[in-house]
Parts: sequence; C-alpha cells; structure tokens
Amino acid sequence: MNEQELEEKKKMAFSGAEEDDQTAVEVPETMERCLVFESGGLIMFMSTEYVIEIINDHSVTKLPVVPDYVAGILNLRGQILPVVDIRLLMGKPAAEYDSKTCIIVLNIDSVPIGIIVDTVRQVMDIDTAKIQPVPLRNRQKLTNGMLDMGNGVTAMSFDCGALIGSQ
Amino acid sequence: MDNVMDGMLEPYLFETNGLLDSLDEMLVRDEKVGDFSADDVNEIFRIMHTIKGSSAMMQFTPISTAAHRVEDLFFFIRDKGIEYLDAEDKKDLFDLMFKSEDFLRSEVSKVENGEPLSDNVDEFTTRVSRFLDKISADEAKNEAAAGAASSAQSAPQQAGSAQPAGNAQQTVGAGTASAGQTAPTVPADPTAAVFIHLFLENGLQMENLRAFMIVTALKDAGLEFRYYPADMDANPETAKDIVQNGFWLAFDSLDLCNNAETVIKSQPHVRSYEIVDQPAQGAPAPAVASPEARGAAQPASAPSGAASSAPSASAATGSAPASAPATPAAASPRTAPSGPQHAAAPAAHSAVPVKQSLISVNLGKLDDLMNLVGEIVITESMVTSSPVLRQLPQESYDTFNKSARQLRKLTNDLQDIAMSLRMVPISGVFQKMNRIVRDMKNKLNKDVRLTIIGEETEVDKTIVDSIQDPIMHIVRNSMDHGIEETAAERTAKGKDPQGEIVLSAQHTSSEVVISVKDDGYGMDPQKLLDKAESKGILTKPRSEYSKKEALGLILLPGFSTNKEVTEYSGRGVGMDVVKKNVESVGGAVFIESEYGKGTTITLKIPLTLAIVDGMKVTVGDSIFTIPIANIRQSFKISSSDIVQDENGSEMIERMGTYYPVVRLSEYFHIPGKISTVEDGILIWVEANDKSCCLLADDLIGEQQVVVKPLPAYFNNFSLKNRGISGCTILGDGNISIILDVLGIYNTAAENA
Repeated sequence: MNEQELEEKKKMAFSGAEEDDQTAVEVPETMERCLVFESGGLIMFMSTEYVIEIINDHSVTKLPVVPDYVAGILNLRGQILPVVDIRLLMGKPAAEYDSKTCIIVLNIDSVPIGIIVDTVRQVMDIDTAKIQPVPLRNRQKLTNGMLDMGNGVTAMSFDCGALIGSQ
Repeated sequence: MDNVMDGMLEPYLFETNGLLDSLDEMLVRDEKVGDFSADDVNEIFRIMHTIKGSSAMMQFTPISTAAHRVEDLFFFIRDKGIEYLDAEDKKDLFDLMFKSEDFLRSEVSKVENGEPLSDNVDEFTTRVSRFLDKISADEAKNEAAAGAASSAQSAPQQAGSAQPAGNAQQTVGAGTASAGQTAPTVPADPTAAVFIHLFLENGLQMENLRAFMIVTALKDAGLEFRYYPADMDANPETAKDIVQNGFWLAFDSLDLCNNAETVIKSQPHVRSYEIVDQPAQGAPAPAVASPEARGAAQPASAPSGAASSAPSASAATGSAPASAPATPAAASPRTAPSGPQHAAAPAAHSAVPVKQSLISVNLGKLDDLMNLVGEIVITESMVTSSPVLRQLPQESYDTFNKSARQLRKLTNDLQDIAMSLRMVPISGVFQKMNRIVRDMKNKLNKDVRLTIIGEETEVDKTIVDSIQDPIMHIVRNSMDHGIEETAAERTAKGKDPQGEIVLSAQHTSSEVVISVKDDGYGMDPQKLLDKAESKGILTKPRSEYSKKEALGLILLPGFSTNKEVTEYSGRGVGMDVVKKNVESVGGAVFIESEYGKGTTITLKIPLTLAIVDGMKVTVGDSIFTIPIANIRQSFKISSSDIVQDENGSEMIERMGTYYPVVRLSEYFHIPGKISTVEDGILIWVEANDKSCCLLADDLIGEQQVVVKPLPAYFNNFSLKNRGISGCTILGDGNISIILDVLGIYNTAAENA
C-alpha cells in the first residue's frame, strides 16, 4: 500500500469516527478517540493521542543480538525507530507479513516506537468509563482492560506504558 | 515558580555558571601571583553584583544574600584599593573567595537539579562579615594611628575637626561653644544649610557600609555634600551609632538636598529620613557665616571661609581657612583614603565587558542542524547516484554531473561548518583542573605545579562534557597517590622538590590525545599484581602478565591500591569509571608508568562522534559498517589457514601472532551467503589493544557515515557490549548497523 492509500484509509477511519461522535455527545468527558487494530487474533484499541502515523512499509532493518520480538529498526524520514512485533511480544507464533500488516508509529511519553500489527481496523470514540479490568490478574503483558464493543465482540485496551517497559 | 520564571531559568543558569567559571579562572590566576589586580577586584564586584541581581529576580534568596555579602566585601576592597590588605589578609581572602564560589556553585547546582536551596546562609554570611569586620577594623586602627600622628602636630585644629567626624555625641575635649550647642543631634557643620537625617532598616548588619553605599550612590549622582559620621566606611564601631542615631548628610543648599532626596528614595534599606534645617541656636558667628556660604555656593566659599574665620575664634570654624573651598570633614586626614575612592568609582563604570560577537545556542539546535546536514549529504548522494540519470542523453548527463559536483562541494563545506560549530576548546575543562590542584595542594600539603599544554585544542562539545570527570579523576589520583608525600622524599630521589603534573591535549588526524603526566612515585607492576591477586581479579597465572597488562589492572572495577579512602580518591570506583566514560565516547585509556619516575595516563578520543569513516561489509542481507579507524587489514584466506583449538574455536596467524576469528554470520545469527571461508573476506580489526579477525561475506566500500545513536528503547539491551555501537542511514535510505569492535571482541573472544 502506498502512502496515498494509507492517507485515504486514515481519512476513512477518521470519518467513521465522526459519525460515532454525533451519537456520543451526551458523555464527552470520558470519551476518547481510539485506534482499533488486530494482532494475534485479538482486537485491541489505544488512544489516538499516542498514534503518530500508520505505515505499511516492511523495510525494517533487523537488529541482531536483541530478543525476537524486536523486529528491528526503521528509518522514518531520518529518525530511527525501534519496531516491536507485538504478536511475538505477547508470546504468539510469528505470522508472515502481508499487505494488511501495518506498522503503527507511536509516541509514548516522547519515546518514538513502531509496533507491527496484523491489521488496522478503524478510529472510533470509546467511552473509557466502560472499560472493565481484566479479571485474570498479572497475566497480561500488554493489555490493561477490556471493552464490549457490541455484536459479541470484545476489544482489549492496549497498554502503551507497558510496551515501553517491556524491554 | 511560574512559567515566565521557568523560561528565564535557563539563561539564568547559563549566565550564573559562566560568571562563576570566570570567577574561578580569575581566582586561580590571581592566587598564583598572590595578589588581586585592580581590574579583577572590579570584575569580582561586578560578577557578584550581577549574580545578586539576577538571583534576587529569580527569587533565589540564599544565592542573592550570599552574593550580596561578598559584593559588600568587594565594595569595601575596591574602595580601599587592594594594596590596603596585607599578605595575610589576601591569603584569607583567597580562601574565603574559593569558599564563596563553592557555596554559590552548590546552590546553583541545587537550582539546576530542582532541589530546595539551603535556607540557612547565615554561617556563610557571618564568615564573610567577620572577614570584612576584621579588615575594616584593621583600617580603623591604621586610621587612628594616622590621626594620632597628625593631631600631635596640630592638636587644637585636629581636636575640632575630629569632633564631627568621630561622633556627634562624643563632645570630645574641644569644649567650644558651637560644639557644645549642636553636638547632641545635628553634627557641627557650619556651612551646611540643611541636613538629611537617615535611619536604616533594623537588623541589616554592617550598617556603616550600607550607609556608605548610600553616600556613594549620592556621590555618583554628582551631588556635593558631607556625611557624618565621616569615618563610617572605615570604622565598624560607627555601625552601632548609625543603628541608634541614624546618620547625617549635610548639604549646602536646599536644591542639592532636594536632588539627594530623590536619590535616597531609590536606595534600599532606608527605613526613614527627615530633612532638618541648620539649627538656629548654633554659635552666632557660624550662623552668620553660613547664610553667606549658602548664597555664595561652593566655588565662592573662599571668601566665606575668610569671613567666618575672622570673627570667630572657635576651633570648629578654625578648620575652615585651612582648607578654604573644602568641607570641614575634608580637612581631616581622611581625605587621603577618600582620594582613591573617587578614582575607583569611575573605574568600576569603565569595566563594562567588551562586547564579543558570540552567541550561545542550545546544543539541541546544533544537533538538529547536524542531523539535517547529515540528511542532506545522504540525499545528495541518493540523487546523484540515481539510476534514472543513466537514461538522460549524454549531453544533459554531463551538465547534470557538473552541477552535481558543485553541489557536492557545497554540501561538503556545509558539513564542515556544521561540524565546526560543535567544536569547543578544551580549556574549560583544563582550567577546572587548576582549581582542583590548588585545593588539593593545600589539603594534602604537597607542593605541585600544574602545567597545561594545548588547552586551545578543539573537541566536540559532547565529548568535552563526558571527559571532564575522567580527567578530574586522573588528576586527583596523581595528586593523591602519584606525587610523593613530602618534598624531602622527592629531593632524596634527586627530583625537583616541587612536583609537577602536566596536562596536555593535542590533535592527531582523527583523535584528540589527552594526557596527564606526573613525576611522582610511578607504579610498581609487582605491587599491582599482589593487590589484584589478593582481590582475586587476576584472570590468568600471575607470571603471564606483561608489564602493560599489569598496569591495565588499575582499570578494573574494584581495584584501588590505596588502603585508606580519602576525600579525593581511593573509593575503588576510580579508574574503571574513567575507562567506562572514555569508552562511552569511543575513546581508549593507555597507561605508562616507570616505577620511581612517574606515571602518564593517556586518553585517546575520537574528534567527533557524529561522523565516522566506515567500511561497509555485507553479511547475508545485512550491511554492517566497521569504523575504518579499527581496521588494520582485510584479506582473503583459505580454510587451511584457520587453526582450531580443542573447542573448535577458530584462530588465524598474522605476522607471528594468533588472533581469534569471529564469523559475523554466526555471531549475529544471520544466515550468511557464503559456504566456505574462501568466498568471504577476513577483516583484521583492533580496538584498545584488543585484536581479532572478522569474517564477512564481502566488502562493499568505504564511506563517510553520519552516526545515529540507537533508539533509547534499546538502552537496556547493552548493545554496545555486544558489538553494536550505533547505526547510520545509507544513500538508499536503508539502515546500516555500525559495529563496535571492542564489544565483539569481548563477547566473542573473551567470554565465549
């Protein structure tokens, strides 16, 4: 996918979010705009606050002598970013990268980092008050809450802080 | 602190630290000569004044108070001239000034670290005050002596003139009519038309000097007046009197008084003041004379002096003809010290710093610029080597090439300039060593001189910052352990009784070589080995250690030959930290020592970290860059050249020595593209006396690369120790990893 397509995808995602916006005017305080994506069979979301951009470039330079889950480093317009495959970080088997695989570039507490996810779904507004804690304690590396999205779909809240601490 | 203050904090810290640095430099320089130059006294006064002002603005009261106190001290010294202090006082003053500098520095560093400032500066300020009291008391004594001498010559006159000067309440023994009537309140000043009676705020300390500062401020405003007590600047005893009774300013005209009033209003520490007319009940003769004087004004006061002296036989007015146009106070011996005082005031104004065409820039911006320039260089080579150009017709291709060459030249220049911006002379670091040597010299009672060579050598700013601590450590070690304890010990060995430490810096093509050389004990390899053995840090049989290796032992963690821990060194964290710091900027430490003659510790540090000449090699699909500085040779070999040990580890013989062979594909777990060693290429690398051969698939070529640090995310993986020091972006936008030869050697050859 080239950058134009990406932009379109992003735009589409954002326009989808705007519709959601109109339905959710009543409780704006706890509403947060979130990016929803899939990785290792899980649906996850994180606040768009952290997201800088989504790229579909697989030219990640492998870095030797680091754990498997570090996919390598990426040259993003002169800035070198670490790229982490969260699939591997979560202990799931590696998957072939395909056209849907994306790198989400995040800025977490001014640490830039890229994560490889299976696919990016959409941007939507999520009521953070409705996020429930995960009942199984101390077992999740990267998630810190879950949310019923309706239609029997449950999404996990992605813990950005834990990602930075994961090294 | 609000946001406005936050924005000002950085310039404040920059300025204050800069001022303290120049203060330090000045003190160390002056102490060598054992004297302050007049310029320096003014300069110190100015520095303290600036620090006081800016600290007060930033509401760092302790800093401001401390600086203020030192400012007071130097105000006094500046006023009196430095010659006024005897050698003993000067020595104390130097100590005091170094203490002050340290105090201010520690407070400023607290500000920097966001720690609360010490709320108790009394200990410090009383120290300064005590010194000031001491020297000003000395002066009072001198004054008294001078006064006594001159009064012996002209007793009656002196008695009269000393009276207003000394203290209005002491009616002295003059017993004159005027003195008897005016003494209790208004000082006897027959020519004055009007007085201002000032009271200072309570609890100020050194009220006499505060009062005198107000007096000076008025003088600076160009006003003519007299002040009582006239010896307030010299006699600390007057402080008490000023607290109780205030002090007086005498003016010859109401206009002057009004002007003075506006000045006084702007002065600090004034509690209250009142304007008092010349008392009517004064002696008739002066009372008549003074209106005349008022009308005639200052230049024409000669006739008034004559007029007043004629009818009046009183001692007080008797002093007037002695110095016709001058004031009664001026007739006293105190005119002598007040002479230089006037000279000093304009001198202080002329000490405005010469404006330099320098600006200070945030290092972050320079880093950004450096990065951008690096990008431009890369992009330029991307454009000029683009395969699309091949499709151009020959003629346009030639034209393009011509412009491209021009562009390359410009980008090279740009790169050079951007690099030079980050270069700063190393003198800042070296000057600090002066101070350390000075302090330790006194503490340890050793006579040592520090010789500095090549302080103008320029080094990348980041490197300067990271080598300061190592150099300091080495210098301290040399002072503490290197130089002999006593001069007698040195003379017994036929050495100059004064020890010497030589600190030198010089450029080689790609490195800065900094060495610290002392002519002290030197190190005994056997002792080092004993010590290392007892600590259990020897890694091979003792007999196998060469001298060089034995000396290298001091760089190991946990090695400290000194049994006692002193204030300066001997905590066992010394030299290994030096080594670590120096290696973190890509440098190396070398030690040479001749037992009984001295030790030289040399740091070799790359000129800059930003750009490296690199050799690109391929291993599988990856491209690695090896710094050219580390490469000794590259060559093809056949598998029969490789020797194996019992574990199957591979080695190769080069020039009579065997070196370990590291197959990069195995080391990095990358599937290589070569099946036999004949297809690959061996690169003989060396770093910090460690040498090995790396097997790569192929050499691509040499290139200058802009080094980028790895993302902070990887900090915990200690990649450098495992052979990766950074990365760089290649012309095609791909990333190449820069290898750290020492890291590879340590991981592959030593801990395998």
